[in-house]
Amino acid sequence: MTTFVAHLDADCYYVSAERVRHPDLTDKPVGVLGNNGACVIAKSYEMKAHGVKTGTPIWDAAKLCPHGVYVKRDFYWYEVLSRKMLGIVGTFSPRVEYYSVDEFFFEAIPTSHRTDLPGTATKIRDYIREAAGLPVTIGVARTRTLAKLFSDTGKPFGAVAVLTRDHERELLAKMPVTEISGIGGKRADRLAPYGIRTCLDLADADGRLVNKLLTKTGYEIWLELNGTPVMPIRPERPPHQVLARGGSLMGNVDDPKLLWAWCVRHVERLIEELRYHNVRTTTLAIQLDWKDGTGTGGTTSMPVPTDRFDDLLDAARTSLRRAYIPGATATHMHVMATELRRAKGFQLSLFDAPDPKKEKLAATKHAINEKFGRFKVRSAATLYLPAVYRDPANDFDICDIRGKVCF
Amino acid sequence: MCTAVALPTSELPDIVVEQLIDRVHTRGGEREVRFDWRSVPALLPVWWNGRLQVVKWGNRDRSERKLPPTGWTWRETVEKGKWSAIEPEPVEVPAAYVMTNGVWFRVKQGVRGLLVRTRTGEPVVYLICEPSTRYYRVMTRATWMPVLIDEVI
Repeated sequence: MTTFVAHLDADCYYVSAERVRHPDLTDKPVGVLGNNGACVIAKSYEMKAHGVKTGTPIWDAAKLCPHGVYVKRDFYWYEVLSRKMLGIVGTFSPRVEYYSVDEFFFEAIPTSHRTDLPGTATKIRDYIREAAGLPVTIGVARTRTLAKLFSDTGKPFGAVAVLTRDHERELLAKMPVTEISGIGGKRADRLAPYGIRTCLDLADADGRLVNKLLTKTGYEIWLELNGTPVMPIRPERPPHQVLARGGSLMGNVDDPKLLWAWCVRHVERLIEELRYHNVRTTTLAIQLDWKDGTGTGGTTSMPVPTDRFDDLLDAARTSLRRAYIPGATATHMHVMATELRRAKGFQLSLFDAPDPKKEKLAATKHAINEKFGRFKVRSAATLYLPAVYRDPANDFDICDIRGKVCF
Repeated sequence: MCTAVALPTSELPDIVVEQLIDRVHTRGGEREVRFDWRSVPALLPVWWNGRLQVVKWGNRDRSERKLPPTGWTWRETVEKGKWSAIEPEPVEVPAAYVMTNGVWFRVKQGVRGLLVRTRTGEPVVYLICEPSTRYYRVMTRATWMPVLIDEVI
């Protein structure tokens, strides 16, 4: 018996989430602004109609859509609604993958013997609208790749079930190959000389050619386009290979004290993640992006896996020194733990004695912040970033929403 | 500097909406009253004496000699007591949307104001401002922002 996969995609999710708590925003052109307040990260269909795109700077957007209303992002709230949606979908399907804050994959099962899959998709969509107040679009097909492609054709507030090969081919013929998640401009350029321009062209191409041009990933996409499920639904997120924290430095930073303060902030955030996932790291890497478009990196290895602040701070100091260019202006920083080990059962070094006092100190800091809120106890080095800590919205970023498969 | 606030007509008494009909605009199918500093006379809604009232915004026309000829005051000035001689009252200016430098943004409740009286007893409100947060400065390119009620932008 053929199993079908459903893909749920919330329609302009951040805007819809804002409309749930501010119903007056309904039908208005609304833009949600990103972490710095400089760019539109999500827009309503009404704002899109004025030419505002994701990534448009606010000053351009205000000219394109003078009556548009802008809202500061609130990832706490977006997570609350996302988990509510996830819970609802879980009542309709035994296997749900939390792909991203606004996208889920799940096994499509008819809600009753009298309801077919198109009816089921419609029912789930309508129930989410009623219970969570969010408009979503659902696509049902034989594989994940097909379901994701077809849900896009149903937007907004659609429910599309594509159950036959003929129907699949009809829709695939209308879609450029770049619509497929994982096939960007460069991969499309590799396919173009072979006349592969639409999704149907790719599906009809020789699998060996696709493997040669796009490697294994492309070959798996080809299989999925032809209805062979390759990518399973993952109800649990696979363990992280790398944990990282970082992002924009909220402006241009050339003062080494400020750069160090950002580094310490990201190390503290990274430690939270290491502890949450119950892993330690033996390597700490720092990546800096400079204003002139270049990037530098520095890596430090440690003899014993650790999640302790003092150890990681020493490593961060060395990594930052390696990545730092005196006098240059940095714009972004990422701190990465690249060699992760499970927190128990690792080999100790001969020369590093356990330090129970520092372990206790780290545990106490963690416990206080767990109880009273993030960053209530933090390194004094971060005092150079008062504006960052004054705004509670900076305490929680999109990457802090855990359990998602995708960023 | 914040130069306009907007409030849906559903949040204002009908009689007030009728009086301000030339300031009613439609945004996304919903009617709202826009209180713009450039309008003549400049007005603002305030919660005062337990009810929502529309009062004069600032002293742009310089009709009152003892009041500053603007529509804003600084939080620091208020906290230093420089207004105390004319018995100011803190008031809340309800708003759904606020505009600064051409950017309309959503606020949860509104902004804080300072209400004083003219020699004839007419109420006048000034919006209280403070230095912009970094986010607000990037969003609006303004160095001063209104003091928001229970909210950080």
